[in-house]
Amino acid sequence: MDVIAGLGHGFLVAFEPINLLYCFIGVFIGTLVGVLPGIGPVSAMSLLLPVTLSGTPESGIIMMAGIYYGSMYGGSTTAVLVNIPGEAASVVTCIDGHEMAKRGRAGPALGIAALGSFVAGTFSIVALMLVAPMLAKVAVAFGPPEYFSLMVLGLSILSFLTQGSMAKALLMAAVGVVIGLVGLDQINAMPRLTFDRLELVDGIGLIPVVMGLFGVAEILTNIEQQIRRDIVQSRIGSLWPSKEDLKASAGPVARGTVLGFLLGILPGGGAVISSFASYAIEKKLSRTPERFGKGAIEGVAGPESANNAAAGGAFIPLMTLGIPPNVVMALLLGAFVIHGLQPGPLMMSQNPAIFWGIVASMYVGNIMLLVLNMPLIGMWVQVLKAPYKILFPLILMFCIVGVFASGNAVFDVFVMIATGVLGYLMRKFGYEAAPLVLAFVLGPMLENNLRKSLILSEGTFDVFVVRPISLACLLIAATLLIAPLLPALRKKREKVALDATD
Amino acid sequence: MMLRRAELWGGLFWLAIGAFVAWQGWLLELGTLREPGSGFVFFWLGLLIVAFATSIAIGGLRGEGPLLGDLWRGARWRNVLLVVLALIAFGFLFERVGFVICSLALLLFLMTVVDPVRPVISIPVSLIAAVGVWYVLEKMLLVQLPKGTWIEDFIPF
Repeated sequence: MDVIAGLGHGFLVAFEPINLLYCFIGVFIGTLVGVLPGIGPVSAMSLLLPVTLSGTPESGIIMMAGIYYGSMYGGSTTAVLVNIPGEAASVVTCIDGHEMAKRGRAGPALGIAALGSFVAGTFSIVALMLVAPMLAKVAVAFGPPEYFSLMVLGLSILSFLTQGSMAKALLMAAVGVVIGLVGLDQINAMPRLTFDRLELVDGIGLIPVVMGLFGVAEILTNIEQQIRRDIVQSRIGSLWPSKEDLKASAGPVARGTVLGFLLGILPGGGAVISSFASYAIEKKLSRTPERFGKGAIEGVAGPESANNAAAGGAFIPLMTLGIPPNVVMALLLGAFVIHGLQPGPLMMSQNPAIFWGIVASMYVGNIMLLVLNMPLIGMWVQVLKAPYKILFPLILMFCIVGVFASGNAVFDVFVMIATGVLGYLMRKFGYEAAPLVLAFVLGPMLENNLRKSLILSEGTFDVFVVRPISLACLLIAATLLIAPLLPALRKKREKVALDATD
Repeated sequence: MMLRRAELWGGLFWLAIGAFVAWQGWLLELGTLREPGSGFVFFWLGLLIVAFATSIAIGGLRGEGPLLGDLWRGARWRNVLLVVLALIAFGFLFERVGFVICSLALLLFLMTVVDPVRPVISIPVSLIAAVGVWYVLEKMLLVQLPKGTWIEDFIPF
């Protein structure tokens, strides 16, 4: 009954004209950045984070959420038509989606991607609506040791799933925590690593760091190489899949949806890993696995459903525990904090309009996305034809404007440039930015909970192992950290190693 | 040969950073386990960074990873350098020259020197983008953008 009443309240919020407008802007921009290679949801959300300041908290967060799940939809268009993933979660869609397009079946590929995304998106919202209140009740019992261990688990999972060396990923996580702790000590107000700069007393801003590491670094990486786009020239044709296509896709969509939602909840997991896992499962279950890679519609339906369901699932840890499971959710947490809100177990009781408004807006947003993606494919194709040499100066200008507007300080622009150069060099030397950014956001919470736990336990580490949830999290984290040392597990990790960012 | 390994130099860079963080943590006071001080987490994170960086640098000494030169082989690194220099110049001039002129100059520079676009496209795109963004932010969203301390006496709006 609470859920139905809450949802009713949520729809009242979501259907306010201003919130409908913000929702539309969010899903439209999300689809656009999903379509455009070279700019992902993280860059777009950080760019628009300052804009959320001008409206109510629910409007801003509805828009930010719309960008996230909108980009999941849009990414498939680029993957199918250009064979370039618009964002990381669409990497798998390139394999069979582009093959279908080359065989004159771009329409059904795009159609099933949109339909699967819609089904998965809707399922994940229903599940979010049902699971979040239950988890929030459990989360009230969480103390500092549980929070600390859960954050350690999140960083360990992300480091485990990151492409390449795990030592580098863990190093990045440690660096991220250090950068996140710059500024005043939360407990005794002592300035730390501020180098007597007044601008650093409040800490380093999330927006300049994210814009630098993702936006500027992405541009610097792209402009040093010639970008070639192999856009499918043939007619896209009817988007509606045939009866056979729908029959073949029903199972993959259902499996991808459930799998994606479950993996989305895991801290550090998310859209990318779920799309790869879904592809692997569909190939394994298929009676004709040899068709995969040559234009099998199941290879599009499953992963596209999985990445959209994961996008919905990722809201659960943020909304119920206040812990962002990935970089995008970390940005969303930033949006909450900017408005003076703290997501967590008490969110639903203290700010029901915001929680249920966001949930209800996601239903509305999913319908908007279906409408945007099905008939407007032609327009997105035109967008794809815009040359990068015109796009990148504009994106750079938007990055600068976004960073400056967020803090009204040129210092932040320099932070963005510095982290941009650092991010570019990190890519060159094989260091991933995702663990750094997630750790940067979690850093202050991590330190706070560690110090509180030690104070509460009078200086013993037993407090982390005598509590079952904390112990379970630490055991899983330890297993993941030891895994790369064992040859059999190392092979498995290399198989699933993915870049879990935009 | 091993001195030219990217892993070695990457590892040494982070080793220096880790050592610096640990040292800063030490200076900030570690406190005790019962009452950890401001530098407690910094110190231990610094040591953790040193440990990971050392393992990466040792990998470089063993010949793991690409050579430093290979990272930029065939890359148009001049473009990267130009963009970074343009951004730094933008940062220094932003408050002095103002948003519109600075953005216009940046866009024209990027579309003329870094990755050339025909003037018939670059000039109108730059003009519309710079003035359009200024109008939306300054007039519609009421976000204050720098007018330019060097030129604000000469502009009528």
